[in-house]
Amino acid sequence: MAEIACTHCNLTFDESVMITEQAGDKQLFFCCKGCQGVYHLLESEGLDTFYDKLGDTQLQPASQKSDDLEKFDLEGFKNKYITAHDDGLYEINLIIEGIHCSACVWLNEKVLHKTDGVMEATINYTNNKAKIVWDPDEIQLSKIIETIRSIGYNAYPYDPKLQEERAVKTRKDYYSRILVAVFGSMNIMWIAIAHYAGYFSGMKQEFKDILNVAEFILATPVLFYSGWVFFRGAYYGYKNNIVNMDTLVASGAISAYIYSIYAMVTQRGEVYFDSVAMIITFVLVGKYLEVLSKKHAVDTLDSIMGSTPTEVTVITDNEKSLISIENITLGDTIELKPGEKVVIDGTVTYGQGSFDESSLTGESEPVYKQKGDSILSGSLCLDSVLRYEATKDASSSLLHSIVSLLEESITKKPRIEQLADVISGYFSSIILAIALVSFAGWWFMGGDFEHALIIGISVIVIACPCALGLATPMATLVGISIAAKRGILFKEATFLETMAKSDLLALDKTGTITEGKPSVLHTQTLQAYDQNLLYSLVSTSNHPISKGIAAYLKQNSEILQELPLENIKTIQAKGIEALYQGGKLIGGNASYMQASGLSVDEQTENTLFYFAIEDQLVARFELSDTIREGTAQAIKEIQAMGIRVVMLTGDHEQSAKKVAKEVGITEIHAKLLPQDKAAMIDKFHDEGHVVVMAGDGINDTIALAKSDIAIAMGNGADVAISVSDVVLMDEKPQSIYEAYRLSKRTFRAVKENLGFSLLYNVIAVPLAVMGFVNPLVAALSMSLSSLVVVGNSMRIKFLKFKN
Amino acid sequence: MSENIVILMIGVSTFLGALGLIALLWGVKTGQFDDQSKFIDATHFDNEEDLRDAVMMEEKRKARLKKKEEEKEKKKNYMPAD
Repeated sequence: MAEIACTHCNLTFDESVMITEQAGDKQLFFCCKGCQGVYHLLESEGLDTFYDKLGDTQLQPASQKSDDLEKFDLEGFKNKYITAHDDGLYEINLIIEGIHCSACVWLNEKVLHKTDGVMEATINYTNNKAKIVWDPDEIQLSKIIETIRSIGYNAYPYDPKLQEERAVKTRKDYYSRILVAVFGSMNIMWIAIAHYAGYFSGMKQEFKDILNVAEFILATPVLFYSGWVFFRGAYYGYKNNIVNMDTLVASGAISAYIYSIYAMVTQRGEVYFDSVAMIITFVLVGKYLEVLSKKHAVDTLDSIMGSTPTEVTVITDNEKSLISIENITLGDTIELKPGEKVVIDGTVTYGQGSFDESSLTGESEPVYKQKGDSILSGSLCLDSVLRYEATKDASSSLLHSIVSLLEESITKKPRIEQLADVISGYFSSIILAIALVSFAGWWFMGGDFEHALIIGISVIVIACPCALGLATPMATLVGISIAAKRGILFKEATFLETMAKSDLLALDKTGTITEGKPSVLHTQTLQAYDQNLLYSLVSTSNHPISKGIAAYLKQNSEILQELPLENIKTIQAKGIEALYQGGKLIGGNASYMQASGLSVDEQTENTLFYFAIEDQLVARFELSDTIREGTAQAIKEIQAMGIRVVMLTGDHEQSAKKVAKEVGITEIHAKLLPQDKAAMIDKFHDEGHVVVMAGDGINDTIALAKSDIAIAMGNGADVAISVSDVVLMDEKPQSIYEAYRLSKRTFRAVKENLGFSLLYNVIAVPLAVMGFVNPLVAALSMSLSSLVVVGNSMRIKFLKFKN
Repeated sequence: MSENIVILMIGVSTFLGALGLIALLWGVKTGQFDDQSKFIDATHFDNEEDLRDAVMMEEKRKARLKKKEEEKEKKKNYMPAD
C-alpha cells in the first residue's frame, strides 16, 4: 500500500490508516483528527496560504491538548509571569512549542494578530520565544493560549527578567559602541593618511589645523562613548586596587587625547587622535568577541518551573478545590491526574499507578507506586488517578530544592582565572611605571616639560594593548568555530582555556557512556511465529523495553504491519497483553510469564523479555543498554593525555562495574543521588582538580553546574543542556577527546599570542623611552602587531584529528 | 586649493557618513537586528498582506485608546444624582 503525506503535517503514513476527505476536486488526507481540525480552521480563516509557505517541511501532528487552561487565569499565575503596563495592557513571555520553520512563526503571528484584544505578538525565529501584549478587558490569557493550541502548537510561560534580557542588552550596547568606534576610526584613518603625507612633504599650518580639528571631532565620541567601558573598568579596578587592561587602555587613550588637544591648540608637535581611536576600536572588538556568547542558564530554570503547576487539587471533606502550592500544609490530601507533574512530596493514601522518575534518577523505566509508597516531586504521574498526603510543603519539596540548589551553584560557579587577565595586570603596572619614570627622567635631564610629556605618552601608546587585548579572544574564537564545525558547541569562548587546564574527567553512565536505550543482544526463537503480532503488541507501549524490541524488529525485517489488536492491557512492571482474532498474546518479564503458568529460563545478567501466543512461549529476548561506539578508544586517549577519568552513576554497583570494565575506567562511584554527585565534584575541587563533567539528565544538573566545565549530550534534558558549557551534538564520546585536543591547541595559541605581544613590547618600549618614536611608527607597528596575532590564531585551523 | 574647500569636503562627507551611522544605531536600538533569521526570512514573506496586518494592529491600538478616552470622559461627566 502506498504511503501518503498528511495534508496538514506532511508526515507520511499508510493510506489505509488515513482519514480521507473529498473537498471539491481535491482528495485530502489527514493522519489524525487534530490535523484535520487545524486544516479546516486555517481554511475558514483564509490562512491556507500557510501550506504554500510550509513547502515540504514536516510538522508535529496536531494533538488535542488536555484542559488545563483555567490555570492561566489564576491569581498565582498572574503574579508570577504577567507584567501589567501603565496603560492597562498585560504582557507575557511565552515559549511556543512545535515551531519547525519560519512558516510556523508566520502562522502563529498571523493568528494572534487576528485575535481581538491582542495588541502585539512577536515571535523570535531562532529560539521560538514570543512576547504577547493584550488587553485584559477584551480577552483572557487562557483564550490566547487556547488559540495557539487550536492551530496545533503549545505555549508555556517563562520569566525573561534574568539572564537573557541582560545578555541581549549587553550585546546591543556593545554593537552600538563598536559601530561608533569603527565609523570614527575609519574616518580618522583617511584624514591621518593626509597628515602623514604632509609629515614627509611639508604642509601649511592652516591645513594641518583643519585636519586636526576634524580628527578631534571624530575621536571625541569614540573615546567617550565607545571607550566608556574602559573608563568604567578602570574605575572599578581602582576601587578594588587592581591595575588591569582597562587601566592601561583608559590612561593611554585619555593622556594621548589630552596631549593631542594641547598640540592642536598650541599648533606645536603632532596629534595622536588616530592612535586614540584605534586603540579603543581594537580592544573593544576584542572585548565584544568575549561577550558575544553568554549563556542563559537561569532562563531555562524558569521554563522547568514554568511547566510545573502553580496549583494542585486538594481534597477536603470530599470536596475538590484548587489551592496554590504555597498554601499547602503538611497532611493535606492531594489528588493527581494522569500526566500531571508532582510538585509536592508525599505518601500515597489511595490508588496506585506508575511514575516516571527519569528526571530525578536518570533511569528511564517507570516506577510502580501503591498505598504507603512515597512519591517525589519532579516525577510524572503516568496512568492513573490517585491521592496522596503531603509530607513536605512546597519550598522543602525535592523539586524546589533541586532548583534552588541549581540557582546557587550557577551563580557560585568556580572561575579559573584567565591567563591574559593575570598577565595584563602585571603588564599594565609595569608599562605605567616605565612611562612615569621616562617622563620624570626626560624632564629632569632635559628640563623640557613638553618633550618629556610626549615621550611619556608615546611609551603608553606604543606599548599598545591591542595585540594583548586581541590575543585571547582571537584564538578562542577560531577555536570555537572549528569546534562548532565538528559538532562541539562551546557556549563561551573562555571555556576553551578552562578545559585546557582540566585534569579530571567525570562521566555519567546512563545516557553518556551508554546510549540510555536498551537494545536487543540475543534472540531465541522457540517456535516459528508471525513477527507482525509481536510488533503490533510492543508498539502499544511506550516502555523503553518495548521500544527496544520494536526498534530491533524494524531493523531486522523489511515489511512490518500493525495488526488490529483488542483488549490491550498494560500490566505495571510486568508486561502487556492483548487479543488478536480471539487469540491471546502476552509479552513481558519472567515473573509475568510465571504468573501466566509458563516456566522460563532466567539465566542471564541482562534484562529479559518473553513473548507467548496462546500460552505457548515462542520467543525470548535479552536486552541491555549498549555502550556508545568508540567509548573505550576515546577514554584510552583521554587517559593518555594524563587526565584522570572517573565514573559517577546513580545505578547500582554491579552494572556500573560491568560498563566500567568494558570502557577501561577503574575509578567508579555508584549509587549516587543528584546531591551526592555534586558533593563528589566538590570533593575533587578540594583536592585541587579542575573538573570536567559530562552528563545528560536532570539528575546530573547540579553536578554539571558545580563543575568547572560541564559537557552535555545533544539530546539530553533541556536543563542539563542549559547549565552546561559545552554541548556535544553528535553525542560521541570521541568528541570529548576532540574537545580536549582543540582546547589544548587553542590555549597554546593564546600563550604564543601573549608571548609575541610581550616580545614586541620588549623591543618597542625601549625605543619609545629613548624618544625614537613618531606617530607614524606608532600607528604602523600597532597594526602590524595586531595582524601577527590574528595570523597566528588562524593557524589553529591546521589542527589534525585522527581519521 | 583654499582651506574652505577642504573644510567643505571633510564636513559634507563626514556628515553623510554620520547620517548612515545614526540610521544604523536607530536600527540596533529598536531591535531590528535582534533576530537574524527573521531579518533574512522577512524577505520571503514580505508582501502587501503584512503591510495590511501592520495597519490592522495600528488601528486596533487606536480603537482601544479611543475607547479608553471615551470611558474617561464618561466618568468625568458622570454626576451622581442627588
